Amino acid sequence: MNRTITMNLGGIIFHIEEDAYDILNRYLSTIKGYFKDSEGRDEIMTDIESRIGEMLQEKVNNTKQAVLLSDVESVIAVMGKPEDFAGEGTQSENRTNTESSSEENKSSYPNNKRRRVFRDVDNKIVGGVCAGVANYFNFDPIWMRAAFAISFFAFGSGFLLYIILWIIIPKARTTAEKLEMHGEKVDVNNIGKAVNDEFEGFKRRMNEFGDKAKSPETKERIRTTAQKATDFFGDVFHNMIHVFGKIIAFFLVFIGIALMVGLLATIFGKGTISVFNSPTNNIHFSLYEFSSAVLPADLPVVLIVIAFILFFGVPLLSLIYAGIRHLFGIKQKNRIVKYVANSLWLIGLGLVIYIGFEIGNDFSEQASSKQKMELFQPKGQVLTLDLKQLPDDDLDATYEHHKRHKVKLGDWTMISKDDNKFSIGYPVMDIVRSETDSVQVIVIKTASGYDKKEAAYRAKNIEYSISQKDSSLVFNSYFDINNADKLRAQDVKIIVKIPLNKVIYLSKRMEKIIFDIHNENDALDYDMVNRRWIMTESELKCIDCKGLETFSKK
Amino acid sequence: MNIENTKAQMKKGVLEFCILSVLSSGDQYPSEIIEKMKEAKLIVVEGTLYPLLMRLKNDGLLSYRWEESLSGPPRKYYKLTPVGKQYLKELKTTWTELVNAVNKTIEKK
Repeated sequence: MNRTITMNLGGIIFHIEEDAYDILNRYLSTIKGYFKDSEGRDEIMTDIESRIGEMLQEKVNNTKQAVLLSDVESVIAVMGKPEDFAGEGTQSENRTNTESSSEENKSSYPNNKRRRVFRDVDNKIVGGVCAGVANYFNFDPIWMRAAFAISFFAFGSGFLLYIILWIIIPKARTTAEKLEMHGEKVDVNNIGKAVNDEFEGFKRRMNEFGDKAKSPETKERIRTTAQKATDFFGDVFHNMIHVFGKIIAFFLVFIGIALMVGLLATIFGKGTISVFNSPTNNIHFSLYEFSSAVLPADLPVVLIVIAFILFFGVPLLSLIYAGIRHLFGIKQKNRIVKYVANSLWLIGLGLVIYIGFEIGNDFSEQASSKQKMELFQPKGQVLTLDLKQLPDDDLDATYEHHKRHKVKLGDWTMISKDDNKFSIGYPVMDIVRSETDSVQVIVIKTASGYDKKEAAYRAKNIEYSISQKDSSLVFNSYFDINNADKLRAQDVKIIVKIPLNKVIYLSKRMEKIIFDIHNENDALDYDMVNRRWIMTESELKCIDCKGLETFSKK
Repeated sequence: MNIENTKAQMKKGVLEFCILSVLSSGDQYPSEIIEKMKEAKLIVVEGTLYPLLMRLKNDGLLSYRWEESLSGPPRKYYKLTPVGKQYLKELKTTWTELVNAVNKTIEKK
């Protein structure tokens, strides 16, 4: 009994006994050694190998499948000893010496044969993707399959990735491809061998440069040597770029997949999008809520879902696709995929434009509705203006409160209240002098719409409440709009009219809504709160603003 | 002096000419060339052929193409280039002259 090795000789697969393999291997290496300096060594070696392969093929059949030592010996006898025939090649050597070693810089057959990724259809469950990738990296396909199976549940991202890989990775058709897809086993010996080969090659090339540089030669020779040196360093540089490219490709794939999962989760999960997480700007909202807040009522939500998938998903998939292609060095191009991707993205773009246009259309006209309240106020008392404390004011509390999501962009805040209302913050307040003796509150609600009528209807629908309690007026920090009315630039402006010589007090919280109130002290909004003000002929004047005056007059 | 060596040297000189002649009758792949050369007892070991083919190819006398084969991997078919044909023609003349000259020399003995 003897162990056999599988060997690829000139594209034919052989099972060869170990001792026979050793002899054959040594024989081929010796021949290679003899042709060391001759032009076209690799080509001669390929020819010789395919001839040996042919001869060995005649020696095996169905009943005798393995190549034995005697077979190899007889083949070697027919081919002859290297020293018998190697001289032939060297005749031309002197003439072609200058060109010879440029080919040696390239890989020597067959050690550096590149491994490629193929779909392993012999071991396939679905498309052979997992088996193929596992072959490439040399591990059991079961892990790959398990990973894919699990990722199927991550919003189907695994499924998508599988389909992409299925499209990109070619099937292993020929025996040679099937062999190519099996990588060499990664163990200490092989790593050592690879490093050693690389080092030997480097040493050899360096010696060549050295020899050539030393020998007194014509200018042309020196030039070629210099050129070879550049070639060599060019090679090194090229390899570095290559490795760097792979790393980038890996990150592209990684980022692409991560974003893809995010996109799918956003679209199909009820989860929220959380972006711009800063105290002044943050968004915690689900796509569903967003579309029900913004999309015109006659556009189905499914439309925006499709638009999102196509518009954002296709570029992401292309990113993953390109990354994987580069990572595995796949050259084959698939035109159909390109056309399909391009047209899908264009459809997505069209949808996005259409939706944008439809939404924009709803902003073409603006209208407002005015409400006026007259309040009776006892004369001598100070009127306190206060803002209602709402739990929604605190962003974190809102976020914890999973049913209420919040969008905050600078001063503008939107909170989803329940399934049919949004709260928008904040209204804007101005304080002016009243022409009468009573305190008046005017609430101006504005909104946009497709036409004036629609805009006016929306404006009217805005809910805003003010309550009066003893000598204080309490304003809401938010106004509410119906879900059905959509977000259409709704805004609320409050004008409080104070009679002459009436004293008011602005609470601390009021700084959220007061805006640019004219006053004698020229105090800014945040300086106006927590103070008492008296209405003069034209504007408010501060009563307890000591220290502030110097500050604001600067 | 080694008689075997001299014999081999003599054969080597005409090998090139013979390969070109074999190919003049049509495109062939190495195994076929080898067969013909072996029949004529011109080569003993097959390995001799490959460096020769390579040299002839590099000198522009031969070219090759790949052809699918039914029984195995693709085969390399060699053929004469126009330069090769011209070269062969000249060699043939030289060869005839040489044979005549050599024969005359031997007969005179």
